[in-house]
Amino acid sequence: MFKIIANREVGPGIFQLVLNYDQLPQNPEPGHFFNIKVSQDGSEDPLLRRPFSIFDFDAAEKKIEFIYRVIGKGTKILSNLDNGTELDVLGPLGTPFSLNKSGGNIHLIGGGMGIAPLYYLAKKLKSSRQTLYLGAANKAELEFFEEKFKGLGVECHLAAMEEKLEIKGSALVLWLNYLEKNTPDYIYTCGPEKMLAAVEKEALKNNIGGELSVEKRMGCGIGVCLSCSCESRAQDQKNKRACVEGPVFGLGEVILGA
Amino acid sequence: MLKEEVDSINDELTESNLNLSVVMNSQQHQQQNNLKLKNPLITASGTCGNGKELADFFDINQLGAFTTKGITVKPQTGNKTPRIAETAAGIINSIGLENPGVDSFIKDILPETKNYSLPILANISGYSQKDFITLAEKLEGRKELAGIEINLSCPNIKGGGMIFGTAPEKVYQITKKVREIYSGYIIVKLTPNITDITETALAAENAGADAVAMINTLSAMKIDIDQQKPLLANTFGGLSGPAVRPVAVRMVYQSYKKLNIPILGLGGVRSGSDVIEFMLAGATTVGIGTVNMIDPTAGPRIIGEIKEYMLKHQITNLSSIIGAAH
Repeated sequence: MFKIIANREVGPGIFQLVLNYDQLPQNPEPGHFFNIKVSQDGSEDPLLRRPFSIFDFDAAEKKIEFIYRVIGKGTKILSNLDNGTELDVLGPLGTPFSLNKSGGNIHLIGGGMGIAPLYYLAKKLKSSRQTLYLGAANKAELEFFEEKFKGLGVECHLAAMEEKLEIKGSALVLWLNYLEKNTPDYIYTCGPEKMLAAVEKEALKNNIGGELSVEKRMGCGIGVCLSCSCESRAQDQKNKRACVEGPVFGLGEVILGA
Repeated sequence: MLKEEVDSINDELTESNLNLSVVMNSQQHQQQNNLKLKNPLITASGTCGNGKELADFFDINQLGAFTTKGITVKPQTGNKTPRIAETAAGIINSIGLENPGVDSFIKDILPETKNYSLPILANISGYSQKDFITLAEKLEGRKELAGIEINLSCPNIKGGGMIFGTAPEKVYQITKKVREIYSGYIIVKLTPNITDITETALAAENAGADAVAMINTLSAMKIDIDQQKPLLANTFGGLSGPAVRPVAVRMVYQSYKKLNIPILGLGGVRSGSDVIEFMLAGATTVGIGTVNMIDPTAGPRIIGEIKEYMLKHQITNLSSIIGAAH
């Protein structure tokens, strides 16, 4: 059983959802996602669950946290649910980030809600030198996250499309400004697929390894419907399901850009 | 205690004496060709992978039968994404039959089904009559399979599938060819995108199909009003989910009296009540599809709900309600 203990707006249209759970089939790792049924009382609209990457996890307190932006019907319903509401939640699902690069110089590059899986990741990579490059529409969308990451001792660089912060522009452009001075050993990135494709291209060009987490339209989240198939870059390999083999993939593993 | 009271207690229906089993008779007129199922629930192709994904959530041997993801002669990577769109009480999919091809199916997927004790049905799709013949030949004699489901209704492959399924003479021809080759149980899955489904259903029966499955998805589309373009990469897809259930129930009801072979009814089943509704309309077995994508443990839950209905209505044998609404 999962119960809402907080569901609050932390930026314009951006919500932090905290759930209390009885038990989980396994502890989530950074990059795992949960599939949440947002329709209530047996309603058939919306029909599908909504997948959310885990933002934070606390085993001692039995808490899991998510970040979401209100975009459509599902997230609108979710944003109106009160504390104490019980939710039907499946997870953890998918393949998480690998943490084997812990200790090196790590860059985290997030675009918009792509920030969601990076916080719990940063927490787990605490022994590494970490720098975050985060982009969003405006400052108000970024403040909550800046504070959270700074709390972990992560160096933060912020960009916004609508106003000048460190730069006026995207997380990608911001990151490229630093790439030469502070070349990372490994990167982790999440955001719109076009951004991921550009980050991947630059990283591979500079022989930097890393991982990315894709956002795909999912049906089931458990690997049966093949709605979220991603084409493998290696021609001899089968399609990869974002919900099972992903959502985390190695740089260069799947074809991006859809 | 009065004798009447004792009798009524002894007669009282309890969960342990409910009989949920159903038999899908075969046209081959030999008892061993009948498909005997412990309950009417059959997973719908493409909504349950090949078993192991759902097996993570419950023992799939509790189901009546299992249908594998549709296979074609050659491997297929499927359509471009987005492949799924959500609509009121439904989803529109255009997966495009992503599958490893029949040879890989036989080599890699079929051996894994040995872990299960329930009947397995292989769903087959083709672009030509020759494809169906090849698939029937390759699957003939495969002991892992109880039968095959001929998909003459996939809306997501060009030049095949649904095109065959809308012409009764094509349904007849392909079913007949497959029947000549394949000796196991044959189900023909029909499209609802047609004027009169009883015509294609009868064509399948006349060609020797053991049963028909109805309905496959309804041809549909969704437009992204911000992009002002079709949302699915493939433009059109197939609508499934609770939204289509009344259409499916109507088609089963319409076909029941005209057919001599059993009907596998499916379309938007989410609960035990929905299964009962399909059976009252005339379905011997009932498919569960889209619901597995939302609730992976829907199968066992629905079986429980069927039992509740049987207790409430004092029904000992579930098969007694087949067609009872007529």
